[in-house]
Parts: sequence; C-alpha cells; structure tokens
Amino acid sequence: MLPSDHYVRFYNELFKMLEEIDHVELQKYWMEISRLQETIIGPYIERAGLRGMYEYWDRIRIEENCDAELTLTEDYFEFKMNKCPSLTKAMDNDAGVFEYYCDHCAGWIEPIMKKYGYYCVYDIISRDEPRCVERIYRDREKAVEYLKGVKLLAKPYDDSRL
Amino acid sequence: MRYRETGNVHKDFHLATNTTIKYILTEYGMSFLREVFRRTAQRVYRVIYEALKSGDPQPWLEHMSYFFEREGGIFEVHQRKDSIVFEVKECPAVKHLIQRGVPYSVDFCLQTSLLNEAWAKDSPFDICTVLTGVGRCYQIIRRRE
Repeated sequence: MLPSDHYVRFYNELFKMLEEIDHVELQKYWMEISRLQETIIGPYIERAGLRGMYEYWDRIRIEENCDAELTLTEDYFEFKMNKCPSLTKAMDNDAGVFEYYCDHCAGWIEPIMKKYGYYCVYDIISRDEPRCVERIYRDREKAVEYLKGVKLLAKPYDDSRL
Repeated sequence: MRYRETGNVHKDFHLATNTTIKYILTEYGMSFLREVFRRTAQRVYRVIYEALKSGDPQPWLEHMSYFFEREGGIFEVHQRKDSIVFEVKECPAVKHLIQRGVPYSVDFCLQTSLLNEAWAKDSPFDICTVLTGVGRCYQIIRRRE
C-alpha cells in the first residue's frame, strides 16, 4: 500500500516522468485528476456555490493538516495557504521536488471552476515556498482586478485565462 | 524512519492512486507503471531500498507497520526463521475505496506488488505479494538462497 500520506511524493515522480515525455502529457494527467476531483468537490459547488467551496476546503484544511486561512465574501472564496503540506512533503523528499510541482493544484481546480462558471486566480507566489493564495470569484471583472496584484500566476494550461 | 507523518489522514488520496494506476495502464502501459513505482521505491524511499540492499529488512517492516497502523489497517507480522510475513487482514486503502463506492480491481494492488518488486531489486531478498482476497494479502520477505 502506498500510504495516503505519500501519494504526493509518488505523483511528484510521475510528474517528472510525464514531463520527460512532453508537457502535454502532464497536462492530460492533471485533467484526469481534475475529473476525479470534480466527483468530490462538484456536489459541494452544486449545493452551495462559494459556500460549498468553503466547506470542501475546510474539510481539506483539517484532513491534510494545512496551516491555512479561509475567507468567504459575497464576491469570492479565498484559500490562503500559509504552509502547504503537499509542497512541504515534495520538498522533504530524497527524490527531489519537481520544478513545476505547484502547478498541479491549479491544474485540477481551474477546469472545474470554468465548468461551474467561476473565475479562479491562483497565486503560487513562489515555487520554492510552501504557500499560495487561491481566490475564486463569481464575477470576471473582479477577478481581473485582483489579478493585478498577483506575484506568480498559475497558468497550468496553454489556454489558461480568465 | 525517514518519513513519519503525524496528524490527520486524508484517505481520499487512495482514490487518486486508483485513478492514477488506471490512467497509466490505459495511456502508457505496464512498463511505465512499473517504472514510476520503481522510482518511488528506490528514490523516494531510498533509505528503505539502501537498507534492503545491505541486508536489513527492518526499515521496510517499520514503514509498513507504521502506515498500516496509522491508517487503521488490520495486520499481523509473523517473524519466522527464514522470512517475515506481513499479513494484511484488512487493507485500509481497499476499504476506503469500497466505502467511497469506487469499484475495486486487482490492478489497485499493483501499487503494493510493484513497490515490493522494486525494493527487492539488487537486494539479497525476494519480496512476494500474494493477494488472498479483497483487501487481504501476504507480503513475504525472504532471503534468497
């Protein structure tokens, strides 16, 4: 059994192998994970929109031992990760971290948000620090405005844009 | 032990492992799946692999016992004169899959057999994975003749 604690170190290796073939293969895998994740987060969004996202990520905050702050407003849901357990594990790893490790997160989130009509702005901040900010807006214009202050925008797909 | 996670456990990662195994088998085939588990076994779990190569199975056993215990698995360890048998009576990964309504396939257990296969490579041990039922197996580590 691959422990659930170690899945992230396993797919960190898979990311490297897929990238060795072609970046498109990595993107196709992110899409596959996105389809799985949609079966999990989708019902939360369908039931309660931004509040549903808050509920889903609050569960994740607890289960994955995240040091994170969640904010819900009329306009957006924000997940501010102060210490990401996923990147922390990928970095604390005898195999070494994949250079674009952080992009997988936006890689599964972005397609789901697009499908449900939301606008996701994912600020990686830095690829070497286990922290990031994800904001999901109802309104495109407000997302575009927020985008101006972002340090390192995740663009997991060639057609990633608001 | 090199990686000793504590705190809560997010068992839905087993769903992602299941999806990943299916996806790799469909898109890239068995040799690619074998290679990703080889890298995981020998690079991520380098300490376990190096210990096995030097003839010490204890880090393997400690790792197995710690994470099965942590995830609430039911298992027994039988230390015998010429082998160690790690008997899984209820695999927490398979149990979680079933609890979440995800169909189980024996391919899911390739994660176990391929990790064991890669750990045993270039070591003085064979590690056999014998499935005995859904969520049940023997993992037998035995010094080669």
